[in-house]
Amino acid sequence: MLNILIVGNGQCGNRILDAINREAFGKKSRLAKFYSQQKYKSNVQTIAINTAVNDLKEMKFTKAKDRIHIPHLHGVGANRNVGKHVFEENRTHIMRQIEERGNFDVCFVLTSASGGTGSSFTPMLVKELKERFDYPVYAVVVLPFREEGTLYLQNAAFCLRDVRESGVDGIILADNQFLKQMGGNVESAYNGINDMIAKRLLFLLDALDSEMMMVTDLGDFKTVMNGGAGLATIGFYEAETDMPVRSAIQKALSPSGLLFSSDVYKEASRAMVIIRGDKEHLSIDEISTEVEKLSSAVGHVFKGIIVRNGELPQVLAVLTLESASELEDLYSIAVDAIKYERDKKERVATVKDVDRAFSQIDGMDPSY
Amino acid sequence: MIRVTRLLVISLCMVFFCLALTGNAAAVEIYNGSITMGDGYQLNNFVIDVTDAFPSAESASFYVYENGDEVDSFLINEGDSYEFDFEDDAEVEVSLISVSSGTLPVVRLSIVVNNYRVSDLFESTIIDGGHEYATYSGTPELEIIKSVDKSEINVGEVVRVTVTVENTGDDDAVDVVFSDPQQAKFILVDNILGDPGKIDVEDGDSVKKIYVYDLKATEAGTFSLNPVTASFTNEAGLDFDDTSSNSPTVIVNAGEDLVNADLEFTTTLDKYTVSRNDEIQGTVTIKNNGDAPATAVTVDFIIPDGLEFQGGSGIEVISSVPTIYLESFGVQQEKEFTFSLKAAEVGTYTLSMENSYLFDNGVDTQLEEVSSESVTNKIYVVKGEYDYLFEQPIYVYAIPLIIIGAIVGWIYHRHKQYKF
Repeated sequence: MLNILIVGNGQCGNRILDAINREAFGKKSRLAKFYSQQKYKSNVQTIAINTAVNDLKEMKFTKAKDRIHIPHLHGVGANRNVGKHVFEENRTHIMRQIEERGNFDVCFVLTSASGGTGSSFTPMLVKELKERFDYPVYAVVVLPFREEGTLYLQNAAFCLRDVRESGVDGIILADNQFLKQMGGNVESAYNGINDMIAKRLLFLLDALDSEMMMVTDLGDFKTVMNGGAGLATIGFYEAETDMPVRSAIQKALSPSGLLFSSDVYKEASRAMVIIRGDKEHLSIDEISTEVEKLSSAVGHVFKGIIVRNGELPQVLAVLTLESASELEDLYSIAVDAIKYERDKKERVATVKDVDRAFSQIDGMDPSY
Repeated sequence: MIRVTRLLVISLCMVFFCLALTGNAAAVEIYNGSITMGDGYQLNNFVIDVTDAFPSAESASFYVYENGDEVDSFLINEGDSYEFDFEDDAEVEVSLISVSSGTLPVVRLSIVVNNYRVSDLFESTIIDGGHEYATYSGTPELEIIKSVDKSEINVGEVVRVTVTVENTGDDDAVDVVFSDPQQAKFILVDNILGDPGKIDVEDGDSVKKIYVYDLKATEAGTFSLNPVTASFTNEAGLDFDDTSSNSPTVIVNAGEDLVNADLEFTTTLDKYTVSRNDEIQGTVTIKNNGDAPATAVTVDFIIPDGLEFQGGSGIEVISSVPTIYLESFGVQQEKEFTFSLKAAEVGTYTLSMENSYLFDNGVDTQLEEVSSESVTNKIYVVKGEYDYLFEQPIYVYAIPLIIIGAIVGWIYHRHKQYKF
């Protein structure tokens, strides 16, 4: 049994973590926690960290003892410098909380790249984890909508760089901009994205600790994540009735199945494909054909098959990327955003229109 | 044989002792002493005068008087006796014991009464001066007449009652006490001549009025007025049996002026078979069918155990008794009161109502009070729909409660786990 630690940083990380814990109950009901047990195959410990207490209170399926509030007003206000300072001040407290949970085989840190607490805490937390422990640490980083604002874009750019430089063993990207295609209002879109990430991670955790017809394990996952540029994404598809497994694999590898926009046949470096379902639906020939097709494009592909009676085929693909054109587009927009913010700050410093307005009453007193 | 003899002896002994104790046939010495010549000795209405005493001749002569009339005389010597007839079959034996001289000669006598009950002697004493100074006991006879001025009247009319007394005996009636019991169905409206108290009614007196009063008839019918009785003694203090008057009859016809309030109390329920814990709606209807208004109309609900009074319009609970009270209730007036009962326990019940009211019948000075009781049909309270739940063994309740408790505990535990 694997010992797995999942840390959710900031509002986005907390919500994805709560979605994972909810999915682990196997029920969609809000009351599932009262009558059901979480169905983790592994020993999964979850920790939510946030400076905003309200974000922690919103969590419904994560135990109170697993929610760590770092007191600093009600958040760091999307200011990564403040966030870093707060983490420094609370480093001992945070790390003691993690140490008390014991030793682990793997750790996932969930965060948004654009917010305040998550984007500033995650690189420093990963660095601390890597320095103190010897288990691999993977970051699941959610990129912002491009229209969310310049501060978020520049936070995303710097956060992603900081995480990559923190010694993390791999970054799994999820892109809100890409995932918003699912439509709906903002809240349902966010919830949907969180659910998608949660479902994929749970599938991955389940697969890493399951007996398989064809084996993929944590070692394979590490090998996949070591490939490429250290960036990865996850594709997933759950087949509908009578859909051949071949089509399910294709759907999982298509942009509609991925968390981050990519042409996996061109940009992927290594891959792991895990297929789960009733053996009646799992055609080895079809699976082999599709995996060979992928491996001919990206190189090595780890393949795992989990037989579950009565289940329709579900396919999870972990893909590390050599290049990511979408990420380059993001950074070019981020650079513009950084320049815009800098220019605006300089303008405000030099013009001081408000000071001019106040100067008009210099030397005058009110008369009553 | 020996047994029969013994029984006979014992019986004879008992008869002897009984006769001896009664004193009927025994000779009893009434007096043994001295009497001066010229004096006498009185036994009831008999007086034995010592007429002459002769010390030298050791003899004395005696005269016997009854009620002052001489009935016998005799001369006897010392040691001799003489008997004369007394009351009934009794005889008096006078024995001369001695004669002694003095200023006036004195005789010593023994007076014995035979065949006489001593307790019947009301007088036994020496009479100074002899029979002329004796007091004789007579027999007063009182004739008490109770009369009415009218023998037939209507209800509400007055009859005058007069009671007279006359002594037709040969002695005064002393300490006469009259008693005239209160007359039912009549009320005393005027007492013209009241109770005279203790009086004497002398023989030869004219007829004397004792009572004169007016009675008002309150109810139709034929009534014999209660007799007046009198107790008295004669002048000698001898008690006589009570004497009663006649009982005049008065016929009382129903008058046209009499009015009545006639209240009809009806209690109805909406159902007579109910499940436990169900409610029963009831109505009390009061209607005055009479020709006089009623006052102080009261209906007390006698609620049996097993039914609970829930409330009602115009019904107050006084000392735990639901009560309807109406100060007045007019002629031909009708009023309804609704109430509700709760069937608390399984069983068969009846609901009783104690009804009462007052009215003025136009005749009596006091209000007429009418009381009645009404009872509803039987009310059957059967088991409620969920009563079986309370009849199960304890484990039937305990197990679900334990399970519910465990679930609640678990939910609370989980709530605490996830409450931040």
